[in-house]
Amino acid sequence: MLFLQLLLQGLQTGALYALTAAGFALIFGATRIFHFAHGATFAIAGYVFLYFWNAGQPWPGALAAIAAAVVFGLGMERFVYRPIQRHEGSFFTVFVAAFGVAVVVQNLIGMIAGRGFASVDTPLSMANEVLPDVFLAPIFWIAIAVAIVLFVALSAFLTRTHAGVGLRALAQNPDLLRAYGLSSNRLSMLAFALGSAMAAPAAILTAMTTGLNEAVGHHVMLISMAATIVGGVGSLRGAALAGLMLGVAESVALQFVDTQWAEGVSFLVLFAFIIFRPSGIFGVAQTR
Amino acid sequence: MTTEVLRTENLSRSFGGVQAVAGVSLTLHAGAVTALVGPNGAGKTTTFNLITGNLRADSGTAAIRGKPIMGLKPWQVARLGVARSFQDLRLFTHMTVRENVLAATETASWFWQPGGSTARRAREARADAALEATGLSALARARAIDLAYAERKFLSMARILAAEADIWLLDEPASGLDLASRTRFGQLLKDAQARGVAICLIEHNLDVVVELSNRIAFLDQGKVLAEGDPDAILKDPALAAIYFGDRPQEAA
Amino acid sequence: MIAYAANLATIVAIFAILAATLNFIVGYAGIFSVAHAVFFGLGAYAGAQVALLLIPDPLLACLAGAVVAGGLSLCLALPALRVRGEYFVAASMGLQMMAVTLFSEAKPLTGGIGGLVNIPRPTLFGVEVSVLPLALVALALILLATALLQRGAFGRTLQALRDAESAAEALGKNVAAAKTLAMAFACAGAGIGGALFALHLSFVNVESFTMDQSVLVMAMVIIGGTGTLWGPLVGAIILLSLPSGLAFIPFIPPTEVGAVQQIVYGLAMTLLMIFRPAGLVGDLSKGRATA
Ligand SMILES: Nc1ncnc2c1ncn2[C@@H]1O[C@H](COP(=O)(O)OP(=O)(O)OP(=O)(O)O)[C@@H](O)[C@H]1O
Ligand SMILES: [Mg+2]
Repeated sequence: MLFLQLLLQGLQTGALYALTAAGFALIFGATRIFHFAHGATFAIAGYVFLYFWNAGQPWPGALAAIAAAVVFGLGMERFVYRPIQRHEGSFFTVFVAAFGVAVVVQNLIGMIAGRGFASVDTPLSMANEVLPDVFLAPIFWIAIAVAIVLFVALSAFLTRTHAGVGLRALAQNPDLLRAYGLSSNRLSMLAFALGSAMAAPAAILTAMTTGLNEAVGHHVMLISMAATIVGGVGSLRGAALAGLMLGVAESVALQFVDTQWAEGVSFLVLFAFIIFRPSGIFGVAQTR
Repeated sequence: MTTEVLRTENLSRSFGGVQAVAGVSLTLHAGAVTALVGPNGAGKTTTFNLITGNLRADSGTAAIRGKPIMGLKPWQVARLGVARSFQDLRLFTHMTVRENVLAATETASWFWQPGGSTARRAREARADAALEATGLSALARARAIDLAYAERKFLSMARILAAEADIWLLDEPASGLDLASRTRFGQLLKDAQARGVAICLIEHNLDVVVELSNRIAFLDQGKVLAEGDPDAILKDPALAAIYFGDRPQEAA
Repeated sequence: MIAYAANLATIVAIFAILAATLNFIVGYAGIFSVAHAVFFGLGAYAGAQVALLLIPDPLLACLAGAVVAGGLSLCLALPALRVRGEYFVAASMGLQMMAVTLFSEAKPLTGGIGGLVNIPRPTLFGVEVSVLPLALVALALILLATALLQRGAFGRTLQALRDAESAAEALGKNVAAAKTLAMAFACAGAGIGGALFALHLSFVNVESFTMDQSVLVMAMVIIGGTGTLWGPLVGAIILLSLPSGLAFIPFIPPTEVGAVQQIVYGLAMTLLMIFRPAGLVGDLSKGRATA
């Protein structure tokens, strides 16, 4: 039954990974910007929620977390990436700038909220025995439901709306857009707003389960990048699926190794893909 | 004719459903210019990529002076004396013009090049001669990215000159050049030809082809439709029809 | 006061070694590693073990550090041969995070979280020596070596494969070999820095080899200016004097100096990329030299 327990836990972690990774992949796919501060978005959203929670305001806290994520993502787009892309915008320059912001955010959080793990106590994360020796907390169902609802909504948006189709077109061929009559600046902002918003629910649910620390951004980035690469750059579905897979793999591996190695599982998967199939599961070969 | 240096037989390669190259057999001879002509998407660049090892062939063989080269890495093929240019040039953008050309003379991958300072001076002389021949001496210290269009094309040629290869695969080196530059480019080819270099030239402008080449291979949809004397091929109305884009019977 | 200055100088020299070697692969080969602290750590553990188990000979410790770090650089060379840009950053970041776990868990080799303690003072030919002169000599040699390599054919090869890998290959350059070699050189240099670091502090633990440390070295390279000879040195001096400078500012509580320092250089990196992407030493007219 241990296996089933780990599998279910993995699904819960994986659902959150999928949300975060899909946000990163959406931004990367549509703008080709390697948004290394996506982990910072996640951390900001999580800590804003923590703050409101401690003030006894969970629902306003959730909204504030989403708003903070969106504002931060848009701020990055407008004040960091766009000026850089105006003069050169090589991968290197963009990456370092985002990296700098991530360092600042991590340390600001450490200074303001304190260092070390912080989480919220809620009856939602109290586990009940649902099957013999299998324990599930209500939050499991919430995580799964939130992920499903958001992915359905996102894919409806991307396939049914003018702007959504534009976003997908941007990922495939930026030149096409002029013909389509959409400004790429607007779409780029849309990608950042949506992608950042996706990180907020994951951050809130993480605060309610495993908890946050000021350096959570590193872990989030590793997972987001791994899922994006494993899934195949440019494929949202791939990133989400890979995120889910990584969560399950990390969890199931606990049957054989201690928790501190869980992250190592994601790393090994990423490494294997980079060496043997850099184009990812759904990607077309394009590196090299 | 003269010595045969490169031969391909039945080279084929497809991408997904597209048969980009379908059984191309070509021979290049020392001191001869073979023009590879054909409409866009005919498979010309892909043929080069198959020879140089940038792409793996589905089937077929290629050999340089009898030595099979299938499966070799691009740098191994290069060390057998093949120099190529790229349709999109691929200059070393952030290096100076002279560094671009010097880099072409340095093939050892170790921390230093063999032969000490004598060899180094010889390489520098070769690089400077290549700059001289392509008219880039005055721009030696400019960065490649800051060059004008024609200068970039000549820098790409200078790298090839300096590499001292005896097989040149040139992918549209003269496209977009004005008449004066084209004449200068023609002179480069003729000099190389006189030294015995075997040249394969991809070129869309038929005037250039007629002026510079000894042979033509006409490629369409991955197949060599005709090969031989330039005049004969260019007079063929069926080929002209394909080349100029009105394909009367698609099925044929 | 003298002891304080000597300590700072030693640390600056060691970090300048790290920054110069990282600059070698970032600025010239365009290989963007965020795992440099891993090789620093490997060198430190190797050097410390030599001193603990054999003799505290600093030359032997440096050799061990260089060999272990240079040898294991293959872990990073492998992905560098397959992918570039974003993909490689992801791989190196993963490696960095994995290495911290490994360092914390491999107790027999690294002493685990507690680290290796009581590393004997270095002695050369039976005489106890301070690490400062050794570090300065090592730095001078590494700067000389990088300068020679960067200006010569090897540096051109690295820049060529950074700008257009396929064209470099088409000119007969064995790109895989050149990248692997550059990586081994840079990581071996970091290993030497690590061995000196272990001997200097006579204590090492995983805290010094984390992602944060990789970020610090990266910041030195970037703030100084990638692809320049003196940039990394300037970057190391600036970033390491920062904490002492901040300590004089009265309203920063001492416990927050570290965080404030990181915030300062994080901001510096971002602002530089927006306003002066070539770094402090870099020539602005040349722009960024990395694809
Ligand atoms: N890497 C690739 N992946 C998929 N398809 C490719 C690839 N390279 C070439 N093709 C396809 O193969 C066909 C031949 O392309 P190729 O570049 O060889 O043509 P070409 O004769 O050089 O044309 P042009 O005159 O436009 O340069 C084209 O249909 C092209 O789309
Ligand atoms: Mg072509």
